[in-house]
Amino acid sequence: MADRSTHAPASPGRRRFLTMMGSLASAGVLGLRPDRAEARLDATRLRRSMADAYGQPGLDVLDEWFALLDRLAGADLDRQLREVNSFFNRRVRWLDDSLIWDREDYWATPLETLGRGEGDCEDYSIAKYITLQQLGIPTDRLRMIYVRARIGRSQITQAHMVLGYYETPDAEPLILDNLVPSITPARDRTDLDPLFSFNSGGLWAGSSSRSRANPVARLSRWRRVLDRMRRQGFIQGR
Amino acid sequence: MSLIKQLWLIIVGLLLLAFGGSLFIGVTSSRAYIEQEVRIKNADNANALALTMSQMPKDAVTLALLVSAQFDTGYYRRIELRDLDGAVIEQRQADAAIEDVPAWFTELIDFDVPAGTAVVQDGWQQFATLSVESQHSYAYRSLWQSTLELAGWFLLAGGLSLLLGWWLVRSIRQPLHRVVEQARNIGMRRFTTSQVPRTHELREVVVAMNQLADTVGEMLGTESQKLDVLRRRLQHDAVTGALNREAFLSQLQIHLESHDFRASGTLVLVRVSRLTQINEQLGHAATDALLKALTESLEQVAQVHGSGLAGRLNGSDFALLLPGLDDAEYVHQELVKRLKPLIRDKDAMIGLPAAISRYCQGDRRSSLLAGLDGALSSAEGRGQHSITIIEEGKQRSLFPNHAQWRSALQQAMQEGVYLAHFPVLDRDGKLLHYECPSRLRLGQQWQAGGVFMPWVRRLGLETELDLAVVEAALQDIDQRDQAVGINLSAATIRDARFVLELRSRLHARPSAAARLWMELPETLAIQDLPSFRTLCRELLPLGCKLGLEHVGAEFTHIADLQDLGLTYLKIDSSLVGGVTDSHEQQTILRGMATLCHSLGILAIAEGVTSHAEAMTLFELGLDGVTGPGIRQHDKSSL
Repeated sequence: MADRSTHAPASPGRRRFLTMMGSLASAGVLGLRPDRAEARLDATRLRRSMADAYGQPGLDVLDEWFALLDRLAGADLDRQLREVNSFFNRRVRWLDDSLIWDREDYWATPLETLGRGEGDCEDYSIAKYITLQQLGIPTDRLRMIYVRARIGRSQITQAHMVLGYYETPDAEPLILDNLVPSITPARDRTDLDPLFSFNSGGLWAGSSSRSRANPVARLSRWRRVLDRMRRQGFIQGR
Repeated sequence: MSLIKQLWLIIVGLLLLAFGGSLFIGVTSSRAYIEQEVRIKNADNANALALTMSQMPKDAVTLALLVSAQFDTGYYRRIELRDLDGAVIEQRQADAAIEDVPAWFTELIDFDVPAGTAVVQDGWQQFATLSVESQHSYAYRSLWQSTLELAGWFLLAGGLSLLLGWWLVRSIRQPLHRVVEQARNIGMRRFTTSQVPRTHELREVVVAMNQLADTVGEMLGTESQKLDVLRRRLQHDAVTGALNREAFLSQLQIHLESHDFRASGTLVLVRVSRLTQINEQLGHAATDALLKALTESLEQVAQVHGSGLAGRLNGSDFALLLPGLDDAEYVHQELVKRLKPLIRDKDAMIGLPAAISRYCQGDRRSSLLAGLDGALSSAEGRGQHSITIIEEGKQRSLFPNHAQWRSALQQAMQEGVYLAHFPVLDRDGKLLHYECPSRLRLGQQWQAGGVFMPWVRRLGLETELDLAVVEAALQDIDQRDQAVGINLSAATIRDARFVLELRSRLHARPSAAARLWMELPETLAIQDLPSFRTLCRELLPLGCKLGLEHVGAEFTHIADLQDLGLTYLKIDSSLVGGVTDSHEQQTILRGMATLCHSLGILAIAEGVTSHAEAMTLFELGLDGVTGPGIRQHDKSSL
């Protein structure tokens, strides 16, 4: 979406932003208890899902991702952030949702993003979020942030999403962005105006079957992508 | 536990389960739904407010205004803004406003809805945590109201269902009661039939029991027919079907010696004049037909009157016994009316002279018959169809006219009925009951039934007399502590008032009622079977005993009586007399006793004249004996 700029109120970006807000609200509904669940992988299930959907090429990418996780396990935080950020920035080609999925605002799971090798801003953020979680970074330090991005020096702005890393709740975050290859502190990103942030806190609490059965889950985009991830094997039900 | 009670338990249990269950499900699902809605509202509002705050300046006034604006215009229990260390920045709280909902209900429901939380952003940094709780007391109220509504419907539907259940149970219970009643009857060997119910299971039972009753009825019918054939062969004239000489004479003797209404009445002798000539002229068959027609006419007269008997004394002489009827003129008219058609039909040569005489208790049979014979001869001399009435009886009447009879009878009944006591003993010599014919004090003397019964009947005082007798019997039972048997008259059993009166008197004295045996001449009971049935139905439940006396000719009807629940039959002395020597009689009596037993009825022999006879009778299977030869405390000889 970075290549499309608009001021119109009903622009897709704005619309997406608004719907995002709504779904976010719904997602919050399900946050019953503080999050205790780590995102754990079910490798066999992931492989099967990947093989079913994208065949051997997908499996190759998945193996690379597994290798990344192995390599970064126990590494220091800076390296984890840096390598995860660049892994996805390199692997995934930016493309608008309508071109990839034939519909607007499709939130893809990391598996879908990797399998396709394509995604847009929130697909990058989700994939990085899950990967970092997998490396043991606590959920409450990661937040996905809606930002207004100015492209270059122009006054053209567009809706964008980045992943923020908060060392402490009141700290200034480090920004993982697909537009910029390096990780920078937020104050250096003068091209971005933060609007609102969220994470999956509380979403994975409770039994997985219950949240799956909850009809409200369908209303929220964020919630839906989390559910799909669980099915594909990213988040094992307790 | 009774079937009906079980049915009720099932119905009530199912109702409670169904409606209690639906109430529970309704309330729980409403609760779940409301919780979910409130949870969504909490989360949405928290996010919306946090989003707004993220865009606004973070000074205290703005924050307070935002929180207040949200809190004051909406329905919230708590809105709280805490900084990242958990210290409260801004807080609004309202009391839970739960009115008009009982405390136990709110405790029972107890909504468990987490607050909606969201993070307020200040630029890149997190600024504070917002948590929002909606007011959900309204939910308690609406849930309480819907619960009340459901309960109301429950009551209504429950009431309707109970009504339906009541109808259902009733439709089962009624036929069930009938089935139980019938089964009980069969247990007491009263083979009643009952209406076939619609319920399949009961229907099978009832059909089976009805079949049993029918079979028993048929069996009784055939057996009693066989016995009757034997009896007829023994007692009846083969050509005409009238009683033969021996049977008629013994009946006459029994009547003359009896203590009840039979002891007085009218005796008629009819002769077929020149029978030999008629026989020659008309031929054998036609003559037989004529005699048969004559017998039928006489029997009609006997039947019109009630318990009359017709007999053939010899080839040409026929006799008609009309006990309890002393109106010779009436008999005369009846005879003329009945005999005329016979004569008109046939050759003029036929002559049917007759003689009519009244008889009283104590008359000698031989002199009575001799007198009639003489009168008949003179009547025959006077003309072919002349009918003579022997008038001498009139002087023997105690009182000259109706009015005096009436007052004398009423006075006597007021003074009290005296009951004579004749024991009825069983095979061990134990007393079954005393047979107690009534005596009235008339003309300074205790008079037997034969004297006053015709007048009681004529004056329509039977009901009064019977009630007086019942009263005397109940007193007697109380005094002597022994069972007492009394006679009822035909007119009273037809009288519904009498039956009700009797019922209430017996009901008032149940212990005495249980020892009261009441009997009716067989012929009268058979003639008015419906009334007799009513009597049985009304009185038997009170514990008293009902039976028939002088049972003989109508024994074939025992099949009709099988469902009445009779206690005993007294077999007529004409069948009992001479039983020691007659194999036929023994066969008949043995058969009668067997049939009686198969219905749970006691068979008692009347007119037993000697111990030897009594011994024979008990050997034949009879249960009791009574008669001139039977005295109490005579165990050694029995």
